[in-house]
Amino acid sequence: MLRLGKKILVFDGGFGSELERLGLLGDVPEDLNITAPEAISSIHISYANAGADIISTNTFGLNPIKYHGRYGLEEVAAAACENAKKAGKTVFFDVGPTGAMMEPMGSLKFEEAYEAYKTVAEISRDICDGYILETFTDIYELKAAILAFKENTDLPIFATMTFDQSGRTLTGSTPEIVAYTLEGLGVDALGVNCSLGPKELTPIVGRLLSSTKLPVIVQPNRGLPELKNGKTVYSMSSDEFFEAVSEMVKMGVSVVGGCCGTTPEFIKKLSVFSGQNVKEHEHKPLTAVCSQSIICSLDGVKICGERLNPTGKKKLKEALINEDFDYIVSEALNQQENGADLLDLNCGLPQIDEKTLMPRLIKKLQEFCDLPIQIDSSDSAAIEAAARVCNGIPLINSVNGDEAVMARVFPVAKKYGAVVLGLAMDENGVPKTAEERLEIAKRIIKRAGDYGIPPEKIMIDALVVTASAEQELVRETLKAVGLVSALGVKTALGVSNVSFGLPNRPLLNRTFLAMALGQGLNMPIMNPSDSEMVGTVRAFELLSGIDKNSENYISIYKDFVPAASGTLSAKKEEKSADTLYDCVRSGLKNRASELAKKELEHRPPMEVVNDILIKALNDVGQLYEQGKLFLPQLISSAEAAKSAFAEVTARLPDSSAKKGRVVLATVKGDVHDIGKNIVKVVVQSYGWEVIDLGKDVPPSDVVNAVKKFEPFAVGLSALMTTTVPNMKETIGALREAGCKAKIFVGGAVLNPETAEKIGADYYTADALEMAKTLDSALLAER
Amino acid sequence: MNSSEYEFLKPQILNYLGFRGADGDPGVEEMIWACLKEVEEAAQFNCLYKFFDAPPEFLNAEPYREFLSGSKGVIVTASTLGIGADRLVKRLFVSDPAKAAVADCCASAYIEFLSDRFEKTLGDDLSYRFCPGYGGSSVNDIKYIFDILHPEKIGMELTPSMFMLPSKSLAGVVAVGKRAEKSCRDCFMAKSCHYLKEGKRCYA
Repeated sequence: MLRLGKKILVFDGGFGSELERLGLLGDVPEDLNITAPEAISSIHISYANAGADIISTNTFGLNPIKYHGRYGLEEVAAAACENAKKAGKTVFFDVGPTGAMMEPMGSLKFEEAYEAYKTVAEISRDICDGYILETFTDIYELKAAILAFKENTDLPIFATMTFDQSGRTLTGSTPEIVAYTLEGLGVDALGVNCSLGPKELTPIVGRLLSSTKLPVIVQPNRGLPELKNGKTVYSMSSDEFFEAVSEMVKMGVSVVGGCCGTTPEFIKKLSVFSGQNVKEHEHKPLTAVCSQSIICSLDGVKICGERLNPTGKKKLKEALINEDFDYIVSEALNQQENGADLLDLNCGLPQIDEKTLMPRLIKKLQEFCDLPIQIDSSDSAAIEAAARVCNGIPLINSVNGDEAVMARVFPVAKKYGAVVLGLAMDENGVPKTAEERLEIAKRIIKRAGDYGIPPEKIMIDALVVTASAEQELVRETLKAVGLVSALGVKTALGVSNVSFGLPNRPLLNRTFLAMALGQGLNMPIMNPSDSEMVGTVRAFELLSGIDKNSENYISIYKDFVPAASGTLSAKKEEKSADTLYDCVRSGLKNRASELAKKELEHRPPMEVVNDILIKALNDVGQLYEQGKLFLPQLISSAEAAKSAFAEVTARLPDSSAKKGRVVLATVKGDVHDIGKNIVKVVVQSYGWEVIDLGKDVPPSDVVNAVKKFEPFAVGLSALMTTTVPNMKETIGALREAGCKAKIFVGGAVLNPETAEKIGADYYTADALEMAKTLDSALLAER
Repeated sequence: MNSSEYEFLKPQILNYLGFRGADGDPGVEEMIWACLKEVEEAAQFNCLYKFFDAPPEFLNAEPYREFLSGSKGVIVTASTLGIGADRLVKRLFVSDPAKAAVADCCASAYIEFLSDRFEKTLGDDLSYRFCPGYGGSSVNDIKYIFDILHPEKIGMELTPSMFMLPSKSLAGVVAVGKRAEKSCRDCFMAKSCHYLKEGKRCYA
């Protein structure tokens, strides 16, 4: 393996096509290791004879989730390695994806994927020379696999993903994201396999090469398949294949091989590369963070949204303590919409166990928001737990010049490839002069190097002091930004700290921001909803030439009309509506809350509810039933009523305006929840408190929620015939537990007869009918 | 998305949204156009197919047999918009639920549209796509299609309760050498179908 990256290595080629040629394609190819060992080793030997340096085992689907063969995993692994060793070459254990889709879109949990691959590592580490993790389509699953192999073996790990013609993986990762993430996770070589033919893969390989210093692997298919006489065939010749791969060798690829459709003949052609010097490839070190689909390079200016830090934010504090993820997610999306490039995430409150909550928050955010994350914590266990489940490369905030802090955080950063934000201070506090801060910055970078963290993975926060307390030090901060930037290191500042205790803080904040940007600040940590701050960044980007041809600036401000107040607002106003009734009728959410406040100034809350909100909702409902309004309009009205309702309940602390609670769930096995979500919005708009248990909810969870929340009603949704039995089971469990709540069912395959058959109290055809039936059931009860 | 594609998709989307001939709010049309563009951006269409002269085992039963009678072969297909479309709808549900509902319907119409368009490239004497669940067939038959095509390769998963993920995914069979049009005749939803009640249908 010493030659890796210096001399070209040749991998073997397609296995499935060889099995097919031998007439061995069965249901479980891995079982052939035991049932047809000679045939399997003959394929390995034919690749070895063709000149392959590395032989991969016939174990693509051998993991506890995918494998459904007749033997034990360990037994198959042993036989597979035995068969491969007969070829007399280096043997890499072949590892493929589980075939299950990862959370949040699928059901496979990150930890479950990790456990599956840990099992594979344990059964193979003593009988192979390395691992080829290949054909992965989801970088999150690949991360789980890499961690499992790195934590449970010391063998080399090669990792390849597949890309489609758009140049992305199936979960939206670009070659740059794949290279940056896999290099960060510490694989030995990375690249692309399967997917397409060598010609189509050339641009992808070029992008991988320019994004990593690691050796790059390519194992293309035998061109693009064609439909000939109704059959799928690969028709590229081995010469054409060789020519196309040669191009990639010239670009700097280190490991070559073949995938679908390729045979020993193809590998024989490639074998001339074996042992040739790898051509060096150009690669520019990058300071960047990424999610699975967005890479945020800290060149230029990137806005780090500060709104998910509870310091001084009462609502967020409550949301974190109560685990109100809806609020947290909407804050995240708000920041994204307003121009944040990455999000700071901090849940440091005395009541909170950060180590438990942080990874849950990360997973929740990843479900909805694809911005990269800045993990903001002083608890290194929480940092590790968060970095582990983070789908991408996070920024860790922070270390400082204190050796003890660095010793805790750097190993975590190294393991997960994270970028670290270093504060230019140490155990003695924040130094006064810029030069002293620069010295600490240098110390942090040097110490990071001792842990194997390259300088580009360190950013420096030059530290903002409060102008009201230490006016003369503001200049030192700015100077320090300039000095650190001159080192070629990226910088960050928590900008708004400058104005504490002074009037008109926004003015000071944006002026200071402009001054810091002028010194080379890369990442202001700020509130993206402050449009004037964001405006300052956009203007700076234009004036400093980052925003080429002013394109971004113009696209944002082209419709800008100076408002009377002189704000830089670039957003379109909602249509106007004069009354709260009209607002709900027309579905104007923001204005509804404003007008509700006005109404509440001179009317009692319940009057606002009964005379305006209910009336408007009833009228909208009637129009919907008559087909004069349709779904999106109904939802918009419900949303507007909901935001008005929030104002009403804010004035009624005993929540007497609420009618009661409704627990909603999509039943076990059912993973589509759009209908249930629409029901939620509409039912809430009618003044009900909704406890949403989500989708794929086991009966026991519904029972527990009913016991805990004592709702007036339970609403269960099922979309397909296959999950109606689970709905029946859930109702049975509720009855057995003595549930007094009314049980509502709905969903595409339900009808009144089925509802009755499975023991429900009510069937409602849509969201509106459910809301109205709830009201009449409540009336009947009273 | 060009305007002729939009005009083709619009009635289908309005149909999915429960539009029943009322005066559509011009805002909704604007939203459909915006959502379609976002769906197009978020989608990563992928499909797989296999051609068979003789139908695979599971098709040798009604209603498939009738559907395939007189055909010269069958194509088994699976296609998906990828998780990007699911992510989009999920995100919109937090920030703008009305838009989420529209985007969901746009994505449903879009996967049908792209799959139809792709199938047209496979030949010009093909039937419509008959999917497990149609005509009284069992949704569980989707698993045979998964066994044949292994669409995990294009990022599809079949859950134990026969849900395909990503949610905007299709799996079906197309008869070769036989023209056949969709009809509501044998649909398992026919009894409670709100489209039928209004003399309409759920497909384009």
